[in-house]
Amino acid sequence: MPEEATGEGLAAVDRYHQDYGSRARELKRQGKKILGYLCAFVPVEIITAAGFMPFRIKGDVNEPITKADTEMETIVCPLVRSCFDMALKGNYEFLDGIVIPHACDSICRTYDIWKYSLHLPYSHFINMPHGTGKPSLDFYQAVLNTFRTSLSRFAGREISDQELTQAIGLHNQNRAKVRELYELRKASPPLISGTEVARVLIAAMSIPVEESIKMLGDVIEEVKQRGGVLAQKSARIMVVGAQVDSVAFIELIEDSGAWVVADDLCPGAREFFSDVTVTADPIEGIAERYLRKVKCGRTYREMKGNYEEYLEDRFGHMSRMIEGFNVDGVVLYIYKYCDPFGFEVPQIKSYIESKGTPVLYLEDEYSMSTIGRLRTRIQAFLELLGSK
Amino acid sequence: MSQYFAGIDLGSTMTKVVIMNQAVLASVIGPTGPEHRKLANRVMEEALVKANLPFADITYVVATGYGRINVPFADKQITEISCHARGVGYLLPEVRTVIDIGGQDSKGIKLKDGRAVDFVMNDKCAAGTGRFLEVTAEGLGVKLDDMGKLSLTAKNAVRISNTCTVFATQEVVAKLAEGVPLPDIIGGLHEAIAARVYSMVRRLKIEREVALTGGGAKNIGLVKALETKLGYPVLVPPEPLLTGAIGAALLGKDIVKEAAEKGETLPRSERRLQEATFFT
Repeated sequence: MPEEATGEGLAAVDRYHQDYGSRARELKRQGKKILGYLCAFVPVEIITAAGFMPFRIKGDVNEPITKADTEMETIVCPLVRSCFDMALKGNYEFLDGIVIPHACDSICRTYDIWKYSLHLPYSHFINMPHGTGKPSLDFYQAVLNTFRTSLSRFAGREISDQELTQAIGLHNQNRAKVRELYELRKASPPLISGTEVARVLIAAMSIPVEESIKMLGDVIEEVKQRGGVLAQKSARIMVVGAQVDSVAFIELIEDSGAWVVADDLCPGAREFFSDVTVTADPIEGIAERYLRKVKCGRTYREMKGNYEEYLEDRFGHMSRMIEGFNVDGVVLYIYKYCDPFGFEVPQIKSYIESKGTPVLYLEDEYSMSTIGRLRTRIQAFLELLGSK
Repeated sequence: MSQYFAGIDLGSTMTKVVIMNQAVLASVIGPTGPEHRKLANRVMEEALVKANLPFADITYVVATGYGRINVPFADKQITEISCHARGVGYLLPEVRTVIDIGGQDSKGIKLKDGRAVDFVMNDKCAAGTGRFLEVTAEGLGVKLDDMGKLSLTAKNAVRISNTCTVFATQEVVAKLAEGVPLPDIIGGLHEAIAARVYSMVRRLKIEREVALTGGGAKNIGLVKALETKLGYPVLVPPEPLLTGAIGAALLGKDIVKEAAEKGETLPRSERRLQEATFFT
């Protein structure tokens, strides 16, 4: 008799990925309060410490944006519009609240629209600064203390330092698990495909952190046990971009004859490769991590030293990843109207190319119908890599 | 025994086939209709008749272009980027940058040692493609084939401010109503398309020599407008529509040669030259 896929690893991933939000819905019925958030810049540690479940709101490339168009103009980031469209269409009806950071302008300026359209019991805006200097860090710490106070008011109780420290431990553990999973991509061929990894990370952002740690551990065990099941392909690709919350794009690359083995994406390495340091005042460590350690185009890292040093500071982790994961080519994947990443495209491209790795830059509109159009470019890029 | 290679370029507007051994033996150019698969067979058969060869004598078939997956008898599909690069590299070895203006897309390809090393492509928007001229020609009541020549007689080419094909059509009709001479409008249209293509290809850091291929290269007005932008003359292959198909055939030849050198047997398409149905 064939074995049923009942494991708590990849089978659970498929379940949560297919029916995004199903676990949150279940927990809600059991009385858990669910707080939705946009972007990796919401300190989930504080939400977990307050006893709530952080749930990352995602869009859907398969769903044409319709309802959101009456509230948000089409010059707003298509991903933000899709997230909002999904919420308006009732996909996130289980939310007790939303937390929105000043990540980029599209996310920031739509906070009030989310607030009045969804009428949730709780909503909070995190006024995150964009610089990384000392005054910005001090300001951000104050902002996070306000968030802590606001959440404890909603929880009806204090959030203790001990609870925060514990939550930090859990989220760090979760990140460590993701990094362990990434180690399995270093083999050639990788032990796990990029499409599978994307699915795992998407599933993980829809369940409580304790369950995510467990699920990731199970996935790692299952993948190690099944051994090398993937065929050899012609190239090892790294994808760099903003938030890619669907597997469609990764799948397209892998269907075109390459493996996606590394990334600087969200969900992905950007979100999971840096930890929060436990500090006497836990908020301090949290502030430091989100403002300074997570390297994203939304944060402006003031130029110190010469231009080369600046590039090294901002993008050095990418070239280390290219080396560590033996990457042959980088695909830079940006959504239309994404200004934080748009500003950085020429820099990223020239920086990575100067290190000897070819880059394919693609602009897309966050929709399945446009993803297909990228096929020829991706295939041509792989042909170029092959004939090098 | 002589080896023969076929390249088939199923473009959005035109389908091109060449059969080669040491040189091009036969070529066919026909319009692409909605029925890609049927058409791929028909043009291939036509080319075989011209070359006086049975299909069985063709060593390897490479399909390229927008409809490349709809060629059931092809042994391999290769993108038009690689094929144009190979074709131009063969025809005009001195070329470093290829600008291809097709019916539904336009692209720039950077060449090194006869191979593509970088490219840019626009297939999202009709502006900057052959379609732009097709649509506006219709709006003006001018035959597409006459557009290029007419543009050369412009005295004061107007500035077309809309890059959107649909709105540009409205704009030219309005200009016509204002009494602007037809050649000045057509000249402006050619400048608009050249500006659009030029700004895209510039991202590749254009190097001389520059070749212009695709249907756009058959339009003298467009060639001149691009030359004005570049500030120097461009090279146009004798039949600019065929570079992709020639490149496809040559890449097939390369593949066969490489496999022979390595002593490998090549996986060949199992299908024969026949009309594909949706159920195959």
